Amino acid sequence: MIKKLLLFVLLAGAGVMFWTGISDYEVKQDLNPIASYYADQGLEETGAANLVTAVVVRYRGLDTLGEVVILFLTASILGFFLIKRDGKNDFRESSEILKTASRLLEPIIILAGVYVFVNGHLTPGGGFQGGAILASALILAYLANPNDSISKTLLKITESFSGLSFVIIGVLGIILAGGFLDSTLLPAGSIGNLISAGVIPIIYLFVGLKVGSELAGIVTNLKYAPKNESE
Amino acid sequence: MITLEYITLGTGILLMLMGIWGLFTQKNLIKIVIGFTLVDTGIHILMVSIGHIKNRTAPIIDDAVNASEAADKVVDPIPQAMVLTAIVIGLGITALMLTFVVKMAKDNNSLNVSNFKSLKW
Amino acid sequence: MVAPIYIVAIALGIAFSLGFFGKKSTGFATGLFYAALAAISFISVQWFTGFIFNGQSSTEVFTAGLKPPFSISLQMGLPEAIITTMINLAGFMGAVFFADQLKKYGVHLMITYLLLIMGLNVIVMTRDIFNLFVFLEISSIAMAGMALVTQEKKSVQAGFKYLIATAIISALLLVGIILTYNYGESLYINDLLAANLTGIKAGATAIFLILMPVILELKPFPANGWGLDMYQATHPVVGSLLSAASATASIFVLYKLAPLGGDTGMQVIAVLGGLTFVASNLMGLKQSHAGRMLGYSSIAQTGLVMMVIGLQPVLGEHTLFIGFSILLTHFLAKAGLFWLRGILNTDKLKEWGKLRNTPLLLFVFVLFIVALTGFPPFPSFFGKWELVMQLANSGHGWWIAFILLGSLLEAVYLFRWVGYSLKIKSKEQTEQKAHKLIPVYLFAGILLTSVYFYLSHFYPDSMMQYVPLAFVALMFVLEFLPAIIKNIISIGGMAAYSWLLTDQYLGEDNLRFFFALIFLVGGILTMIPGFRQKGKRVGFYPAAVMMYAGLAMLISATDLLQFFIAWEIMTLGSYLLIIRGKRSIKHAFSYMLFSLGGAFAMLAGFGFAQAGNPGIGLDVLANMTYLPHLTAILLAIGFMTKTAALGLHIWLPGAHAEAESDVSPMVSAILLKAGVFGLMLLFIGMGAEAAGGHPLVIALGWLGALSALVGNLAASFQEDAKKLLAYSSIGQLGYILFAFSMMTHLGWLAGLTYVAGHASYKAILFLGIGAVVIRTGTHNMYQMGGLIKKMPLTFIGVLFAIITLAGIPPLAGFAGKWLFYNAVIMKGWYLQGAIVFTAGIIAFLYSFRILYAVFLGQLKDQHRKVKEAPITYLIPMFILMVGIMIFSAQPHLVLKPLGNMISGFFPSNMLDWNGGTALTSLGYWNGFQVAVIIMIMFAILTGWLLLTSRKAKKVGQFNIVYAAERPERPETTHMAYNMFAGYNKAVGFLAAPGITNIWRKIDAFFHDLGDWMRRIYSGNAQSYLIHIVAYTVIVFMIINFGI
Repeated sequence: MIKKLLLFVLLAGAGVMFWTGISDYEVKQDLNPIASYYADQGLEETGAANLVTAVVVRYRGLDTLGEVVILFLTASILGFFLIKRDGKNDFRESSEILKTASRLLEPIIILAGVYVFVNGHLTPGGGFQGGAILASALILAYLANPNDSISKTLLKITESFSGLSFVIIGVLGIILAGGFLDSTLLPAGSIGNLISAGVIPIIYLFVGLKVGSELAGIVTNLKYAPKNESE
Repeated sequence: MITLEYITLGTGILLMLMGIWGLFTQKNLIKIVIGFTLVDTGIHILMVSIGHIKNRTAPIIDDAVNASEAADKVVDPIPQAMVLTAIVIGLGITALMLTFVVKMAKDNNSLNVSNFKSLKW
Repeated sequence: MVAPIYIVAIALGIAFSLGFFGKKSTGFATGLFYAALAAISFISVQWFTGFIFNGQSSTEVFTAGLKPPFSISLQMGLPEAIITTMINLAGFMGAVFFADQLKKYGVHLMITYLLLIMGLNVIVMTRDIFNLFVFLEISSIAMAGMALVTQEKKSVQAGFKYLIATAIISALLLVGIILTYNYGESLYINDLLAANLTGIKAGATAIFLILMPVILELKPFPANGWGLDMYQATHPVVGSLLSAASATASIFVLYKLAPLGGDTGMQVIAVLGGLTFVASNLMGLKQSHAGRMLGYSSIAQTGLVMMVIGLQPVLGEHTLFIGFSILLTHFLAKAGLFWLRGILNTDKLKEWGKLRNTPLLLFVFVLFIVALTGFPPFPSFFGKWELVMQLANSGHGWWIAFILLGSLLEAVYLFRWVGYSLKIKSKEQTEQKAHKLIPVYLFAGILLTSVYFYLSHFYPDSMMQYVPLAFVALMFVLEFLPAIIKNIISIGGMAAYSWLLTDQYLGEDNLRFFFALIFLVGGILTMIPGFRQKGKRVGFYPAAVMMYAGLAMLISATDLLQFFIAWEIMTLGSYLLIIRGKRSIKHAFSYMLFSLGGAFAMLAGFGFAQAGNPGIGLDVLANMTYLPHLTAILLAIGFMTKTAALGLHIWLPGAHAEAESDVSPMVSAILLKAGVFGLMLLFIGMGAEAAGGHPLVIALGWLGALSALVGNLAASFQEDAKKLLAYSSIGQLGYILFAFSMMTHLGWLAGLTYVAGHASYKAILFLGIGAVVIRTGTHNMYQMGGLIKKMPLTFIGVLFAIITLAGIPPLAGFAGKWLFYNAVIMKGWYLQGAIVFTAGIIAFLYSFRILYAVFLGQLKDQHRKVKEAPITYLIPMFILMVGIMIFSAQPHLVLKPLGNMISGFFPSNMLDWNGGTALTSLGYWNGFQVAVIIMIMFAILTGWLLLTSRKAKKVGQFNIVYAAERPERPETTHMAYNMFAGYNKAVGFLAAPGITNIWRKIDAFFHDLGDWMRRIYSGNAQSYLIHIVAYTVIVFMIINFGI
């Protein structure tokens, strides 16, 4: 009880700390200089109508590369745990409803996912969102047929290929444009078109594929539940 | 005056505190991980709130927002980009934590955090 | 120059490509993996050399083709180049060491490893705080993943704790970043630095929430249980990466961001770092698990660097040098030690004796520990030296005390470990895989190479001062030669160097010449017994030469730094010599601790002494302005640990008695004089004659008198012959201290006479008794006896020495005594004088005891076949005897020049010479006359005895009446056993080990305290999370509300 009380005092302290952090917050009227630079120049510099995309893919491209790396890293670390069961598939069959529904929904979801990431530079959305939708389709397929696993090799190759391409595009940026991950190595094209905004759609394509395959990979890998050491 | 900003900022902090409380008091490893995700979500709300500007729209240039007046019409795109990154990172960490938990639970047949004290001092 | 962005591009490109390889074809994948590490190492090394040799200027790489703050940029300057080089080197070598595991886990491990190293590189270079957050997460996750390389329950738990702890820390950081963005309107570090956010409360909180997580990443006490578990439970390579790569990167991040916090922030960082340094070392005391102990030590060292970063406002331009020097040593040594842990494959400290089977590995191990504990000439020493000097200059005495306390605690557990590995034998062989040895040897090589750069940086012009050091290095290289050749080389080197010193100092500076003579000629003589050794005598020559090199450098030191370097090298060499004895492990340990304690007192003293002075020349001792009294006390304590004054003496008896037979004279007759030399320099600095009334000097006089009394008394009660001699050294050094403390001409002359006398007779005694020990195989006097017949030459030598020691005419000891009594009476120190005189009488007790019990009485059965002492022992003994005889007959030959020299400090000469006759106001004395008179008296007495006792019959050696003992009975009936029982009953309490008990209690106190403190690490992941949040909140409250 005393311990709980002390913890509560500590929590209150943390609350005070965070509250002090926003105590001088003022309701904003204008964008700060950097943000207004992006708002003013973003479209021109990147060709992306979606300014968040402009920031994510170009201005803060290194962060984006980093977050792709985190998913990749998570997937790799999961690899440590994987101890193959000798081909035994002991999952219960899924219900007929799930199977049928998934057959109906999968193509639509995949299509939606692809739409979201190829249009990332124009409309809300982008590689991560699209990739997540894509993954949900794959996971749905997996839940419907846990025993017919999606080809792991295919997932891995997609993952690595997309990642490598992302890096190569980044390096091409140094050679052909202003620096690492400079998205202007292809012409901006006419704004609002699908094929525009330099390499942003291409990067988002790879990000989408990568995120989709990685998330799906993480979930399907959990099927190989880690074996007990002592067994 | 209480405006939307303060409400969302407060919500974010409250959510973080709830998460921290979970981290402090829950014994179940999975609930501890949930505590972490609550903290994370609280931060995400905080981040988005900080990018918010009243009466403005999403930072996408289209029919509603003209390129030339974008700076006066849209909210700050940077926190939105950051929150996107933060969400993905949080996702990766959560997935990894859960995997560790699964492994630990299989090894020791327990999910109680107090049962994993073989290393100390 | 390859742009630093390629570090990211190459590492990521190859990491992603590795994904193509599944589990198969790992051969090619491994090649790619190593190529990637090599490439990124190449890039950072290339920048590093560019900065050092080609005057490269620092550069900022912009991503996305835009300048910051609009895009993320990476900075590559000299600091970044150094840090990334360190990280990549540790990464590459760790990967080489890791080859086995890489094969086992394949691409998963390679990817994780590569991304870890890449992440660390980016957090060093990036200038964007959000980018910092992203890559910090990458490296934290990768590190947690690396825990899985050891697939045990423990390591999975450790990985989980690490993961969840760093996740919470990063969450705090993220809050800090978004708040900072709100108030600072930028994520570019340079903008934020310019913005001065700490002006408003919320801005300060935002900065706090950025800096605090960075501090937490460095695992500050007490919110660091998760880090310790990680060190303990993971593979040694992971430990090396945590300690050498990850901590290095995190420290740099702190350095980069610390200015955001302004002065308050700096203060907080310094305090938290200092606390971590001391507390972690305190808790390290009780560790018995090598991995966890290294963890405590790593955290402590990181804390120290953190403290240096926080002290920036005080240290100014020196910050980088100090921080880097400490960091570099920690980096090399810790990585090396973790790898050694992997090679030995044991975490039980006592099993590290396995190293003995591979001398080169043992050498490297000791090298790492020695460097880590801040011994010169390794970088960390120079860092700590500069740190202490700068702190003293700015009047931060308490910080110095704190740092030195922490350093001493660290030395306690590290040198205990060294002791185990040097002494505990093990038959187990260590596995010798090249890929595991190469990294260790490479890092040891870098460490040794760094010494050259440091020395040439500090003393570009006086490299001559370090010739002795080079000679030590040579002796290490020549270890493969047989002992005889090495002995010749050592003696030759010492002879050459003493010639050099003679040339330099004779007539110029006779004080230094005098000590040079004692150190080096004494050294040569004590090396002669070494000719007896067969085989290689591994480890002896480097240690002996190191000690003498230190002594020689002590003579030629012209400033405080050189003096201190010499002092520490001498200490290290003598430690390595002393620990060679069969039962020396704990004595050598206590010697090391006292020496280090003394050295740290000296270091602080030197720091205070030079504060306010323009340089650090030895002349600053004459011009102390900052805390002059405390400084003098600290320096006196430092020197007196070597002279073993009462209270600081408890290391001596064991260390001297248990040392090898030819080592005892080295460490007793010669080494102790180093402390005397130091004290003399201090007294000269304090103004010699003027310092006569100084309370410190009076106190030292009392201390000397009491040391003489207690030392002599304790010597009388010893059963162990060498212990007797050792205690008598304490007594003799007490005389010397007393004599110098009188601060008069005669006092000093008496003191110097004693110094020379003690050096010669103690050498003879230890050589003689050492030879007896070699021949009889025992130290116990009651097991000896009657050896006069078997070892007559040894007996003559010992007799000679005893007569000298006891101050009986006609030998030189009497000269000393005469001067001494004159001095005491003239000074008027009657009370102290009385104690000293009493001590002098007690000296007869042990003098008689050793003569009687060893050489007279009945020969034991088992000693019937004992041979005379080895010729190699007799030669130096007789050379010294000749010396004593010359001095005894013609004392003015030596005393006159000494007197002239002393007149430089004490112009009021109280002693006149008339030919060979010394005159004072109290009387006169002529050495030659005294000798003649004594001889005549002796002749008359002998003649009279011969005349009057013609009827007396000759008694055989085995006549039990004469021997006053019964043969072949338990020793309790032996007269020599408990010889002075009566005296013991009466005054024995004076010699009781009360002081030893006090020290023991201090030792127990620190160990218990450390043990109690470490209970906070309950092992529960939840507690660790609470610690992290509580730590942050409490520090926040203290800063904001001063609670």
